[in-house]
Amino acid sequence: MTPVAEPLLRLSGIRVVFGSFTAVDGVDLSVAENELRFLIGPNGAGKTTLIDVVTGRVRPSGGRVLFGGRDITGLREHAIVRAGIGRTFQTATVFEQLTVADNVDLAACYRMGPLRLLRRRRGLSDTVAAVLERVGLLALADRPAGVLSHGQRQWLEIGMLLAQSPRLLLLDEPVAGMSAGERERTGELLVEIAADHTVVVVEHDMDFLRRYARDVTVLHEGRVLTEGTVAQVQADERVQEVYLGRNVDVAAPLAVGAEGE
Amino acid sequence: MTSTSASSLSPAAAPARSRAGRLAGPAVFVGVLAVALGVLPAVLEPFRLNLVAQYLCFAIVGLGIAVAWGRGGMLVLGQGVFFGLGGYAMGMYLTLERVSSDPLSGGVPDFMSWSGISELPLLWRPFAHPAVAIATAVLLPGLVAALLGWAVFRQRVRGAYFAILNQALAAAFVILLINQQHLTGGTNGLTRFPTLFGASLYSADTKRWVYVAVVLVAALVYLAFRQVVRSRYGALLVAVRDGEDRVRFLGYDPTWVKTLAYTLSAMAAGVGGALFVVVMGIIAPSSLGIVPSLMMVLAVAIGGRFSLAGAALGAVLMNAAETAFSESFAGGWTYLQGALFVLVIVFAPRGLAGIAESAAGWWRSRRQPQGSSQ
Repeated sequence: MTPVAEPLLRLSGIRVVFGSFTAVDGVDLSVAENELRFLIGPNGAGKTTLIDVVTGRVRPSGGRVLFGGRDITGLREHAIVRAGIGRTFQTATVFEQLTVADNVDLAACYRMGPLRLLRRRRGLSDTVAAVLERVGLLALADRPAGVLSHGQRQWLEIGMLLAQSPRLLLLDEPVAGMSAGERERTGELLVEIAADHTVVVVEHDMDFLRRYARDVTVLHEGRVLTEGTVAQVQADERVQEVYLGRNVDVAAPLAVGAEGE
Repeated sequence: MTSTSASSLSPAAAPARSRAGRLAGPAVFVGVLAVALGVLPAVLEPFRLNLVAQYLCFAIVGLGIAVAWGRGGMLVLGQGVFFGLGGYAMGMYLTLERVSSDPLSGGVPDFMSWSGISELPLLWRPFAHPAVAIATAVLLPGLVAALLGWAVFRQRVRGAYFAILNQALAAAFVILLINQQHLTGGTNGLTRFPTLFGASLYSADTKRWVYVAVVLVAALVYLAFRQVVRSRYGALLVAVRDGEDRVRFLGYDPTWVKTLAYTLSAMAAGVGGALFVVVMGIIAPSSLGIVPSLMMVLAVAIGGRFSLAGAALGAVLMNAAETAFSESFAGGWTYLQGALFVLVIVFAPRGLAGIAESAAGWWRSRRQPQGSSQ
């Protein structure tokens, strides 16, 4: 965490309460432009909930989300996308009845007005073709997205994000359930994307983290446990304890429960 | 409008098709239009021709349902309301045309004189102009649907709640029409229209022209909606149907996407209703309530809601079957219709168009082993 000017994304004092369960308990987090940030933590740490807060899916009970200096707390989901934040989901959700190309094309055309949308798509636009090439799905452009494998769906979702050229990409467990080969491919894609985008990745997979992460924020029970480089975080005793599952108290009352997923 | 063009409209339709495959749809369309305009008027007696026109009115309604329900996933169970708005707007014009040519009427329709009204109410006056009546028949249903849709979809009301809301609307609309007898003609509705634009509606010649107009309007609505479902908006509508919440994260507001489809379907229903009045010479609450609204959706389900051609064909077939059955044994049709619906839901959720598509897909995969997996 290096405070250079105004960070692209700044969360301050975010709290999310589901009934009697506090999923996120006062998180402060800053992500600078062009950063590749990993967000890790055991189940129920509040990682996905935090992403949900940033993207407007969950309204925080307290705290503010600033994006590029603008307060976006409580905006509707599509307005946040239009502000420049895109996300993927743990279980990649693509439109199975539409072709792969249509999926990316719809993502790319989100700034079109209704009248322009009422025209037909003729072939592939340059953006769509470039994105499909980048995520390796060009050959499948005309197939329904329903035929894609799990890994391909994740790539399609990442492609849909890229087609929107957001200022901030939030990837929620992009390699969950992937084969070794698919992980490798996703990692390469991630490195490529991070070269010219600001990316936040929520990930469980420690091997993946060790290979591709630069800066890491560890969440635990709705709070930020620690932040630092991969080496720093790995050396941190508290992190080891959390990940080994020993219930050693970390200056916080223990709250056990599932993440909002 | 048969199986071939149906397959080209399936949401999962295979892309990369041969030139012949791409031309099959338009060829069938032109063929059906040629038969409808060139052959049927020559071979059918006026009474039968008029029946076909009536079926086509419901086909127009069905096209709208295919867009809103098939593509947009909105179960529009109250299309009778929009059908009625269109029908009454046109019926009011036709009534005033009769009144103005009848020196004994005193300037008001007979049901108004019965209620002691001697001066034409303000609500009725604009409908003396055919242009106003026609514009109202098309635009008013659209406006009502747009306002209702915007309010409802913004609040993320969907699924069964939306369907029930539409049903309730149909019920309320009928009650309103019956209660405002002095304005609407009550249960009897509006009927007895001797002329349309000065031409006798009882003459076979006028009936033939009405039929031609209905065919042309149906063809136009079909072409317009075909463009809609094949546009980017059409893909977006399917995306909203299959993952409304996901679409928000693409930066689109599903509210307007759904409202537009709902509005288009209401306008189609209004057009169908307006033509229906001219064809049948009557519009009454009994043809717009809950049951008629359900029947409109039922016909589309049987024809195939994912396909425009299937929906239109379903409406024509179901209404034709109804005529045929009520001519031979009345009453039996209701049971058969119910049975047909159950069969379709259980065995062919994509309707007749789906069956035709599967057959076509099977035929293609037999000819070239690398067929589509669906």
